[in-house]
Amino acid sequence: MKISSNWLYDYIDTDLSPEELADILTHTGLEVEEVTETGFDFDGIVVGKVISAEKHPNADKLTLCKVDVGDTTLPIVCGAPNVAAGQTVAVATVNSELPIILDNGKRLKIKKSKIRGEVSEGMICAEDELGLGENHDGIMVLDNELSAGLPLSEVFGSDLDHVIEIGLTPNRPDASCHIGCARDIAAVTGDELLLPEATFSPEKSDLGDRIKVSIKDTDKCHRYVGLMVVDVTVQESPDWLKKRLSAIGLRPINNIVDVTNYVLHEMGQPLHSFDYDLLNSKHIIVQSFDKETEFTTLDDVSRKVPSGTLYICDGDQPVALAGIMGGQNSEINPDTKNVLIESAWFEPVGIRKSSKKLALQTDSSYRFERGVDPNLTLRAAVRCAELIAQLGDGTILNGVVDTHPVKLETRKADLRFQRLTDILGTEIERETTVGILQRLGFECEGTDDLVSCTIPSWRPDVNTEIDLIEEIARIFGYNNIPNPDHLIIRDIRPIPLRERFKEEVRHAAQSLSYREIYTNSLLPESFAGALENPDSLVATLNPITKDQALMRPTLTYGFLRSVTYNANRKANSLRFFEIGNVFEKADRGTYVDGVRERTMVLLGVAGVKNHEHWYAGKQEDYQIFDLLADVDGFLKKLELGEYWINRESNTNLSICYGSRKKPLLLAQVSYADKKLTKITDTEIPAFTAEFDFEVLLQLKEKQKAKKYTPIPKFPAFEFDLAVVVGSDVPAGDMIKTIKGTAGNLLSSISVFDVFEGKSLGEGNKSIAFRMQFLSNEKTLTISDVDPIINTILTELGKKYQAALRS
Amino acid sequence: MKKSDIQELIQKIESFNAKSHEDLEQFRLKYLSRKGRIPELLAKIGQAAKEDRAWMGQQLNKLKQLANHKFETLQEELTESQASSFNAREDITLPPAARDIGSYHPLTQTLQEMKSVFFRMGYTIADGPELEDDFHNFTALNFPPEHPARDMQDTFFIRKDEENPANDQVLRTHTSPVQIRLMKQEKPPIRAIMPGRVYRNESITAKSYCLFHQVEGLYVDKGVNFAELKQTLISFAEQVFGKGIKYRMRPSFFPFTEPSLEMDIWWETETREGQWMEILGAGMVHPNVLRAVGLDPEVYSGFAFGMGVERITMQRYGIDDIRLFYDNDVRFLEQF
Repeated sequence: MKISSNWLYDYIDTDLSPEELADILTHTGLEVEEVTETGFDFDGIVVGKVISAEKHPNADKLTLCKVDVGDTTLPIVCGAPNVAAGQTVAVATVNSELPIILDNGKRLKIKKSKIRGEVSEGMICAEDELGLGENHDGIMVLDNELSAGLPLSEVFGSDLDHVIEIGLTPNRPDASCHIGCARDIAAVTGDELLLPEATFSPEKSDLGDRIKVSIKDTDKCHRYVGLMVVDVTVQESPDWLKKRLSAIGLRPINNIVDVTNYVLHEMGQPLHSFDYDLLNSKHIIVQSFDKETEFTTLDDVSRKVPSGTLYICDGDQPVALAGIMGGQNSEINPDTKNVLIESAWFEPVGIRKSSKKLALQTDSSYRFERGVDPNLTLRAAVRCAELIAQLGDGTILNGVVDTHPVKLETRKADLRFQRLTDILGTEIERETTVGILQRLGFECEGTDDLVSCTIPSWRPDVNTEIDLIEEIARIFGYNNIPNPDHLIIRDIRPIPLRERFKEEVRHAAQSLSYREIYTNSLLPESFAGALENPDSLVATLNPITKDQALMRPTLTYGFLRSVTYNANRKANSLRFFEIGNVFEKADRGTYVDGVRERTMVLLGVAGVKNHEHWYAGKQEDYQIFDLLADVDGFLKKLELGEYWINRESNTNLSICYGSRKKPLLLAQVSYADKKLTKITDTEIPAFTAEFDFEVLLQLKEKQKAKKYTPIPKFPAFEFDLAVVVGSDVPAGDMIKTIKGTAGNLLSSISVFDVFEGKSLGEGNKSIAFRMQFLSNEKTLTISDVDPIINTILTELGKKYQAALRS
Repeated sequence: MKKSDIQELIQKIESFNAKSHEDLEQFRLKYLSRKGRIPELLAKIGQAAKEDRAWMGQQLNKLKQLANHKFETLQEELTESQASSFNAREDITLPPAARDIGSYHPLTQTLQEMKSVFFRMGYTIADGPELEDDFHNFTALNFPPEHPARDMQDTFFIRKDEENPANDQVLRTHTSPVQIRLMKQEKPPIRAIMPGRVYRNESITAKSYCLFHQVEGLYVDKGVNFAELKQTLISFAEQVFGKGIKYRMRPSFFPFTEPSLEMDIWWETETREGQWMEILGAGMVHPNVLRAVGLDPEVYSGFAFGMGVERITMQRYGIDDIRLFYDNDVRFLEQF
């Protein structure tokens, strides 16, 4: 919202600069985003007399002038066709700046120069060059009476202004106008607030023969005031009015429309003016229709208007969208003679709904939906009528229609002084407290303990004691409230395990050389096509783009997107991890009905593991075994105990904990899903391990307190066992069998060799296990281990037809 | 033999310097070889007076050790400095293979720092869902239905229930709903921060993203006041941005706090003119919010604050495009 500083000075008599005013506004809660200078102060522009004007010796279209500017005579080269000796003109002297903005954003600065060999020390200005009009036909010729050297600001008056851009919070409709802002400033400075005075006081109901008003939807329109100004001349607004409106970014239209806009930005009451003669029935009916209608607003847009939208009608004929925008059919036009002024109070929620449905927000709807002062309706109409009559040479009809079906109750709130001190943590003197409230328009009646306040009608946001406390605090100044020199902290509670463990997980991943990524939780619509069961996806109802249509059910998509992003930029050796929430539909929601939301942890590798290197060797791509090694290290680091692996498919393993019968599924480790690599354009090999953080946490919670295990006293006995077995027998199953048969002396097992070859026979492979046996009681020897190996061999033979490799 | 003779020898040996193996060989021959000076002297001990033998033996042994040590040191030095040839693969200037290193995302790093500041001030931590219902995200936070305050945040809806808007489901627009969950769960004193991901239905540009991260803070107890809130925020700003940071607090509006404030800090860099930058919003918990969770505002009061992790991170590192956080370009990530 734009506020003009010159306009503000109409209501507060103060020496404060525009910047100082802006600073006060910011500190009362009307945050100033920017202060920009507009207009022009004619600094360095003076009246000059052209003493002589001769043709430039080297240029046909230029004239050499000598110009008396009071204290001296300047040589000026002028290009205007109409320049002549004897003229009184406006001269921009050297170093002055004109309101012409150059490409570099700066104003044109007049310099001493040589033009085609002739010295020129200034510029004789045209009207447009001084921002005084549009005319550029030639230089501006002034009244001969003006004396040379007179500053031009004394002729035209400086129109320098400052535009204060305020980011208005939705609770402050009262401040959406100049008087509202001035009131806050005056409350801080203690200056008197100067309000415009009305001289006209209408007699009620005297307009009955000219216009009738009925309100059908009294829940949506609480009051409708009409005033009439007759015999007006529609014309351009005077300079002062045009400047006011232009300063705050409004385009002047004509004296009638400009006045309604002026009063809106002065007092905050949206107004509308109708051409009275274009109203056929002379009966204004405020009503809505229960079907969709079509209506052309005065911006020449034909709109489909949903049923239930409140209209101002001329009989049954809509003439305005109530509180939003007028209609083309009754618009003020150059021939308008008689004007009907509308000033009304519309209910905020209704206006907000309509404005949203129509996708049409106007200065008017903006204020109605926040709440206009219900006691302003008549006053603003009178102000508007007076100005229209004055600027349009019209006459205000002595009468008013004032339909006021819903009257406002006076609102009151009490402020306890003790409560004020308790909440703010400092004591503000009673006199100061009451003074602030009174300057803001509250009527106060005090006792020893509390002050009882009548709330001004323009403050719909103030209803209770806490609202009064805020009023006092913001005018007193937040920065004036003393800061305590200490803080009391009692009952310190532990950091929850969930948080501590999440950081542990993050640390574990990082320590395994993974880089953390943050990916978008919103996925494009196309993602659904890559899923077997898209029905379980949670969708957004109103995304502004299809790229944000779905909530992620997995972290893999985001990982692959990041892989592709980097691969496209020549980074093809990637190790990423992410901790984030995923979403899916579920019968029993986690937090909200129907949605399961949980935290997942992803470890992913992609592309090249080693680039070709003189020492490290040939280039090698990542394999799933690299990721599995990291998964193993990751789980060891988290100290969650023994896990086991279940082969789900050729490209997918599950990591499980607990018993085989009731396994706790912890993670999926797999080749990146083909459909996902396709929609993410992933072209380099990628592997993912996605862990359910909630399960990790469950395991962590079950973990017993850590205890030291003594280091083995005796050395381990190592035994290598190579067997020949069918190629399709999974090593994982064999290891499971070995572990199951070996007993508790077996301390570790690994595979050190796997190969297929003709010597083994078609469809066979050799697999070599290295086992370590360990006892706490003695140093094991071959005689201790041999029987175990035999049992293992028998079992492997039975289950997998495995034979000892000779 | 006199003590001074031995002293002289010590000095000679200590100051000896060999430029080549030839020099060193001369040294060996002169002092240490069988015919050298030291064995020669040792051999003469027997001829000395009885009472002198002890100290002579001692001194000469020391001398011998010194000479031996000198010889070894010089030999090592010469060998090292003269090694000129090496095997191609023993060239220790060959570059090693690059080592992968892990890293935390810059937003994590900011968050970790913020957490450590608040943990020091006695806060614990809580979290809640990103997909919320209307009650927690709006209604309980004193956002009346159909109020323009709801427009302050563009909301992603997941479920719309025309009959009972309190059942609407949304992607949380702020971390404040966790306040509600926490206050319903625990009894005061409550002192916690609530970091998390929040969503805004906005198009993705350099300045805005459809999601970002906030840290919410809440302190509810008997007698909590606005002055303490100010002090807490100042302490936070000084710990994160440096002691002596210039700041200001100005009134603002959030439906769930009153009085409400926003805090700006004065920010200037070598390349950028100084200006006020908003870093957080805060305020006293609104009595309606306390009532919504069953706390009596006449007994309890509290304050809440919220800040953007992206905003603070961007400010500190001069990052000018929010999308960088979610592109995960390794050239970006490896800078943190």
